[in-house]
Amino acid sequence: MTESLADVEQAKATRRSPVAWFRASSFQYELILAALIVVVAVGVGIVSHGLFWRAANISQILVDVAITGVPAIAMTLVMITAGIDVSIGSLAGLAAAVVGVTFENGWPTSLAILMALVATTFGGLLNAFIITRGKVPPIITTLGTLSIWRAVVYALLGGSWISTIPPFLVNTLVLAKIGRYIPYAFLGAVLLVIVGAWASRTRPSFRGIFAIGNNEEAASIQGIPVRKLKFFLYTAMGLLAGVAGLLMLAQSPVVQPTAGTGFELQVIAAVVVGGTRIQGGKGSIIGSVLGAILVEVVQDAVIMFHIQSFWQSVVLGGMILVSVLIGMRGRRQE
Amino acid sequence: MSDLKKQSWMTSTAEQYGMLIAMLVLVLLFTAGVAPGALSVTNLATMTTVGVEIGLLAFGETLVILGGGGGIELSVGSNLALTQILIAVMVQHHVAMLPAALFGLIIAGALGSLNGLLIVVARIPAIIVTLGTLYAYSGLALVFSNGVNLSVFPNSFNTIGQGSALGLPFQFLVFYIPVALIMWYITTKAVFGYQLRLVGTNEKAARFSGINVGWVRFRAYMLTGLLCGLAAIIQSSRFATARPDAGATDNLNAIAIAVLGGTYIFGGRGTIIGTALATAVVTMLSFTFGYANINSVIETGTVGAVLIIAIYGQTLLQDLLKRRGRET
Repeated sequence: MTESLADVEQAKATRRSPVAWFRASSFQYELILAALIVVVAVGVGIVSHGLFWRAANISQILVDVAITGVPAIAMTLVMITAGIDVSIGSLAGLAAAVVGVTFENGWPTSLAILMALVATTFGGLLNAFIITRGKVPPIITTLGTLSIWRAVVYALLGGSWISTIPPFLVNTLVLAKIGRYIPYAFLGAVLLVIVGAWASRTRPSFRGIFAIGNNEEAASIQGIPVRKLKFFLYTAMGLLAGVAGLLMLAQSPVVQPTAGTGFELQVIAAVVVGGTRIQGGKGSIIGSVLGAILVEVVQDAVIMFHIQSFWQSVVLGGMILVSVLIGMRGRRQE
Repeated sequence: MSDLKKQSWMTSTAEQYGMLIAMLVLVLLFTAGVAPGALSVTNLATMTTVGVEIGLLAFGETLVILGGGGGIELSVGSNLALTQILIAVMVQHHVAMLPAALFGLIIAGALGSLNGLLIVVARIPAIIVTLGTLYAYSGLALVFSNGVNLSVFPNSFNTIGQGSALGLPFQFLVFYIPVALIMWYITTKAVFGYQLRLVGTNEKAARFSGINVGWVRFRAYMLTGLLCGLAAIIQSSRFATARPDAGATDNLNAIAIAVLGGTYIFGGRGTIIGTALATAVVTMLSFTFGYANINSVIETGTVGAVLIIAIYGQTLLQDLLKRRGRET
């Protein structure tokens, strides 16, 4: 097949200027996000007289990014199928509660962690089952299980706090670092992100996820295993929500009955800031992670600037709206 | 609308109410079994005070979801919090109570309108807009209150949330019942209601028949804002305090009640009576749990399970009706 004139023109333009290269790139939004992160980080660094770049602050941010970023992997894919999962905050709390209760009762660390992940994976499985088999819309299903798992967490804890947490979690995930800056939690998150991004971009079976989001019926007719894919995604969502719960526990080692409340909205915010289209069909895991980083850096900036911490959620709300407006402008040009 | 369609719509609504009434009876039996004392006349009256605020929010949610096009309001609880804080701040700055409350209503309406504008004019999906304003409004509530409860209201203000009229709680008789009647009228008799339903059922058809879809939806969000304002006034009067964290759980609860009341999550179908019945179910359940000293979170869990089962039942029913329709 011969190259079309437009292709040649584009190739020339690509060689000519970085602006043209940017226009032709399929990662436009991600590049904007990355640039924004750099600008904000440099700006905060200057204004805070370097406080921002201290190892303690950076590693704190990286743990926060890991906590939101890990479930954001599955949330991105779920939202690409035009679904949503608002139960993950309760599931993260469930993971924390299970670890707390079992460890307090003398279970070994490994078993306690395994039990927590099994519990949240089961939670994801239940969502998946109700959504794919019962045909109940994802928002309603997960709204229901959000309440159910929160009740289970309260029942497990009996309303009290647990502060005997496996030291392993804190020591290896948060305190152990590579070169004072990068905690293992972040490293693990990066690994998961790479696997997720690679799978969703290259594995043929995962490409179906985008087709589902664009037109579920058409995807189904084309032979894409819609039910299977969705089932897998919501189950994986449960597992990753559990991982996030463990990371939360590692960051602040106490289990409260309210652990993880509102976490689901934070993850959805990161995914939305990361450019995933809420109506489905479009989005990227890398974008979501960049979104998580931007959200965390800006939240940190609010503290660095000595602004009342109450402004954090105002800023987050504004970021969600602005990022969507920017993303929509880009799409209209397409 | 043909007679046939009207009839099938009516039978399906009857089925919906049947389910809700069955649920209400079940909850009543449950209450009688677990905490028979909760069914005294005074307690039933108290129950209504608890349900008024969330009931008003659920009415708004019903309107917004009815309008379809992915319509949803995640920020009702945040609006409730911000409005009551702003009213308290005004009172703190020596604004008289009545104008402060009226300003509060206007502010709440404006907050709802802002959601509507972003959704209708900027064309951002409702779930994102209201997720954003959920954070923004509750954050501002904290900013304006410095994160503390404000108890600045004059004693006369307490009547709204704590007084009684004709033996019934004041806010139930003077606010909830009239608002429910107005909402019922708006959604079933007024042109706006028909338009909202049509917009929710088939946006294109609505557009072709000359309805300004955006304007119809915008008004739903504005009305929801006003309802949040009313709930804010009632709640801050009931507690004699404005709390910046009020309504944190109401955002999702209001949706749960609306959906439980038979509002179809993708728009076009739903009734005020259904939402009111669902409010009664949830409120009674929560009161019973409280009365029997069971943690309220367990009640929330029960509502979650009931929600899923009810919607699953609806889907089954619809499938069945569709199949029956195909056979005949």
